[in-house]
Amino acid sequence: MCSRRPTAIVAAMLTNNVVTVRGLQKCYGRRKVVDGVDLDVLEGEVVGLIGANGAGKTTTVECIQGLRRPDAGMLRVLGLDPARDAERLRPLIGSQLQDSALPDRLRVAEAVELFSPRRTGDGEALLEQFGLGERRRSAFASLSGGERQRLFLVLALLGRPRLVILDELTQGLDPSVRRNVWAAVSQLRNEGTTVLLVTHELGDAEALCDRVVAMRAGRILDSGPPAELVDRHARRATIRFGLQDVAASDALLEELRDVAGVDLVERDGQRATVYGDRSAIAHVGAALVRNCSVPADLSVQIPTLEDALLDLLDGPEAPLPSDNHDQRLIGAMR
Amino acid sequence: MTTSFGRLLKVELKLMLRDPLVLTFVFVFPVLTMLIIGGSFGTKPQPSFANVNPAHWYVASYLTVVIAATGLVMLPVHLASYRERGVLRRFAAAGFPRWSFALAQLVVGLVAVATASTVELGVAAPVYGIPALHELWRVALGIGLGAVAFVSIGVLLGTLLPSARAAQAVGLLLFFPSFLLGAGGPPPDALPHAMRSIANLLPLSQVTAAIRDPWLGTGPGSASLIAVAILAAASTVLAARRARL
Repeated sequence: MCSRRPTAIVAAMLTNNVVTVRGLQKCYGRRKVVDGVDLDVLEGEVVGLIGANGAGKTTTVECIQGLRRPDAGMLRVLGLDPARDAERLRPLIGSQLQDSALPDRLRVAEAVELFSPRRTGDGEALLEQFGLGERRRSAFASLSGGERQRLFLVLALLGRPRLVILDELTQGLDPSVRRNVWAAVSQLRNEGTTVLLVTHELGDAEALCDRVVAMRAGRILDSGPPAELVDRHARRATIRFGLQDVAASDALLEELRDVAGVDLVERDGQRATVYGDRSAIAHVGAALVRNCSVPADLSVQIPTLEDALLDLLDGPEAPLPSDNHDQRLIGAMR
Repeated sequence: MTTSFGRLLKVELKLMLRDPLVLTFVFVFPVLTMLIIGGSFGTKPQPSFANVNPAHWYVASYLTVVIAATGLVMLPVHLASYRERGVLRRFAAAGFPRWSFALAQLVVGLVAVATASTVELGVAAPVYGIPALHELWRVALGIGLGAVAFVSIGVLLGTLLPSARAAQAVGLLLFFPSFLLGAGGPPPDALPHAMRSIANLLPLSQVTAAIRDPWLGTGPGSASLIAVAILAAASTVLAARRARL
């Protein structure tokens, strides 16, 4: 289907890729929702697809699951074509879908039995793990939003799938349950399960993902480990404090301007603001200690993945990182 | 039953019995209306009832009401609701083959018809008695083909209509005229000419004639049986094409 970079495609298929996507395109009517996406997910990786609404994240994973047929491009999931080999592939994938439900009168235990591809007996353990042990006989309609999400996660993990796709995993969950879900995903990673996470919750992506892929308007803007994306795209770290010794303040601020990692020092009356990269936080702290002027009101704002994504979404479209990725794969072949 | 189809069928059968719409329309409504209208014209054979006992006329006619309730109300609402709420996407993502859900619905529909018909006859027996079967195989064929035709129509409507509310509205709009003119209302001979012509065009009237005439010995019902067979074949093909979902 796709004639782009054949060497790279072969290279990707020969490595331990669980998901290989090249040149994926999908239109709904005349609207192009996925526009030339290249994506690799390696075995055991937790990869997050992030981006605003309408970025094409869900459509991309629906094509990967074989729920939608792409208009163009090449897809391989666990060595199979999701469109052609859907029935062989789906038992190997655990899916937690966005905007889907179960029959209202289906009970929790019946749902587990229905969705268990094999009688592995892991359903009971998963229900207990996610706090649904007491709700076995409850109808789906009577579950709260959080309980429904947890049940969907249980169903996605039944039968120990090799690839788990989680779309808006923690939507509607309270903080304690969210931590529980995070622990479950970490456990999956430790067991070597590959996880593809689609999320608006950038806290999830930052906490769980080895690599995130930022999308906008159906295209990939950038990808990499969360910390790398933050370094590349987030605003600077910001350090704020009050100036205690007014006489010595000018000298202190002058010294801070020369500290490693500091980009800018601003003074607003008795308040100082220092901007720089993450390393500047430590260097500024050390300088304050050296000058015996550690302020009581010191505050530090560390850039987050959310800052990076906002910068990416606001900025001009970045070059596709997949070119670099293909070069790496070709290099690995040599 | 450990295959995906077997697990799906088992769950769908359980859910059918928990659905108030199914219990009301498929199990209670036909029995209740059969009891009321079956007792309205006495038990003495009358010309407008092809010279048979009117109560027996309605007992033989009301199996078709069960078939219509299943095909025009129960299945379209059930299927459209699943599509609207993303239940079918979840089944598909979990590896249930595309054909398995449609086949499960076909079987569930046929089980509903069989069970509700048994209930109806069970209630009718001590009240009005069960009329003697004149041509068993023709009646069985009429029930079987009629059930397949209307269950397929139900699957077809469920895959075409955009929401459960739309399915309920359209389903009831199709059900009540079919019920009144084609099965449970006044006998055709009591209808004005124009209305009788309309009634004859309704698929449910053909199913009713294919079952009732050979049951009561008022005719072979061959033309109606052929029409029902054609309807069953056409609706099954169309439903199978649409149910690739």
